[in-house]
Amino acid sequence: MPNLYERLGGENAVNAAVELFYRKVLADGRIAQFFDGVDIDQQIAKQKSFLTMAFGGPNNYTGADMRNAHKRLVAKGLNDSHVDAVIENLNYTLRDLGVPEKEVKEVAAIANSVRDDVLNR
Amino acid sequence: MLQFEDRSVELRLGETVLEALERAGIDAPSSCRSGNCQTCLHRVVEGVPPPESQVGLTKGQKALGFFLPCVCLPTSPLRITRPDDVGARRDAVIRAIDPLAPDVIRLRVDADDFAYRPGQFLELVADGDLRRHYSLASHPEDDPFLEMHIRLHENGRMSRRLGEFKPGDRLHVAGPSGTCFYEGVHQDQRLLLIGAGTGLAPLYGVLRDALKRGHLGPIRLYHGARSRDGLYLDEELKALSRTRAHVDYRPCLLDPDAPAGGDVAATALHGEQDVKDSAIFLCGGENLVKRLKRDFFMRGVSMKNIRSDAFTPSG
Ligand SMILES: Cc1cc2nc3c(=O)[nH]c(=O)nc-3n(C[C@H](O)[C@H](O)[C@H](O)COP(=O)(O)OP(=O)(O)OC[C@H]3O[C@@H](n4cnc5c(N)ncnc54)[C@H](O)[C@@H]3O)c2cc1C
Ligand code: HEM
Ligand code: FES
Repeated sequence: MPNLYERLGGENAVNAAVELFYRKVLADGRIAQFFDGVDIDQQIAKQKSFLTMAFGGPNNYTGADMRNAHKRLVAKGLNDSHVDAVIENLNYTLRDLGVPEKEVKEVAAIANSVRDDVLNR
Repeated sequence: MLQFEDRSVELRLGETVLEALERAGIDAPSSCRSGNCQTCLHRVVEGVPPPESQVGLTKGQKALGFFLPCVCLPTSPLRITRPDDVGARRDAVIRAIDPLAPDVIRLRVDADDFAYRPGQFLELVADGDLRRHYSLASHPEDDPFLEMHIRLHENGRMSRRLGEFKPGDRLHVAGPSGTCFYEGVHQDQRLLLIGAGTGLAPLYGVLRDALKRGHLGPIRLYHGARSRDGLYLDEELKALSRTRAHVDYRPCLLDPDAPAGGDVAATALHGEQDVKDSAIFLCGGENLVKRLKRDFFMRGVSMKNIRSDAFTPSG
């Protein structure tokens, strides 16, 4: 059985999802402020990293990396409700792309599994 | 096998360029180490990077040799530099300085062997340490000089210095840099160029390059200015759009009474509802560029189709 990343379509799936996902995030008043001020091109590259990870793809991030990447945001008030919102937008993006519910749930579970690191607890 | 700037770096079998740089004690940033986040971006100045180390980069970046060291296993010798390395300074001599508007000059300088793409920018160096970026409006195949359009700021250091320069005076140039040029555009794609003030300089370079390369799709150029004087290429661009049926020039005078704000960004956003498949170039002040980039992206334009240069003040 191919792994999740392969079932989703690998790098092509990440490329197909990244702009859709990032538009949803920027349009979401609950979380848009965390992405403000950073150049869109750079953010899109970072969000590719996020999606690759959430899709179960190859990445070398450690828990400590996730803590560091979001430390600045936690200082600005990042909490559980924001993680929920990001996962919600991720779910909508995958459904827009016609990804089956089973895979949508698996992706959400991976994203959810790093919640404590992202929130630096 | 691997050279970083002027020093040679040992590359072990199966090792990525990033790992080799780190082992050599070179301060190289990284994050994902798997080719996604682009934190490790560097540039090849001699040699050809393997294609898998350029996945996800724009056509413009690829053409300039940018690559991702964390996923680069070289198959041939490479010499690389940091991404913002502008290379050696070169001598330049002022050929002409002419007014284009009360606060805008056209500066033409002669410099040997300065290869560039119209729309890129260079670093202009005066008196050894005064350095500012300026975009190139000239075309390397048509013009024997480098042409810049420079707005003179009342208290600007380079602005004041430029006011004193005369033809024959010497300065230095370095670069070029930037990926705001005609690359990765389809010949019959719609081309949308939007700029304010001297943001016209790179757009004018891109426009000329597009025409020279036989661009067939419709081209629309918006130029915004605060006053009529500021539309400093008005006559020339009007003449051009009369002789070239597919070129449409839209001068935009700032109109504070207009309902939507009345600047070139508001005018262009209002006039360009169907932009999804256009190749878009945005140049000028930071606020203008940021706003248009974001709004066009939110309207469904892929970032692959948006190229921009923000004239961020230095320091
Ligand atoms: C990629 C890039 C490309 C550029 N291309 C061009 C170009 O083609 N033509 C061009 O004219 N400029 C261009 N610029 C801007 C240019 O590099 C200088 O920032 C500008 O000429 C001011 O330099 P200065 O030394 O005269 O002023 P400085 O001494 O640097 O600044 C003095 C004061 O002037 C004011 N000031 C400076 N810049 C601005 C501004 N943009 N808007 C409002 N106030 C300002 C500020 O109050 C500042 O404190 C570009 C910048 C970048 C980053
Ligand atoms: C749900 C779990 C999450 C995962 C798995 C995740 C993953 C990632 C990854 C891999 C990066 C790139 C890090 C780098 O290479 O620099 C990143 C960056 C980022 N993340 Fe998250 N993230 C999560 C939640 C969130 C949330 C909830 C927010 C805000 C609402 C957020 C905002 C950001 C921002 C703004 C960056 C860019 C940081 C920078 O530019 O330095 N992330 N994230
Ligand atoms: S470290 Fe992320 S692309 Fe190289």
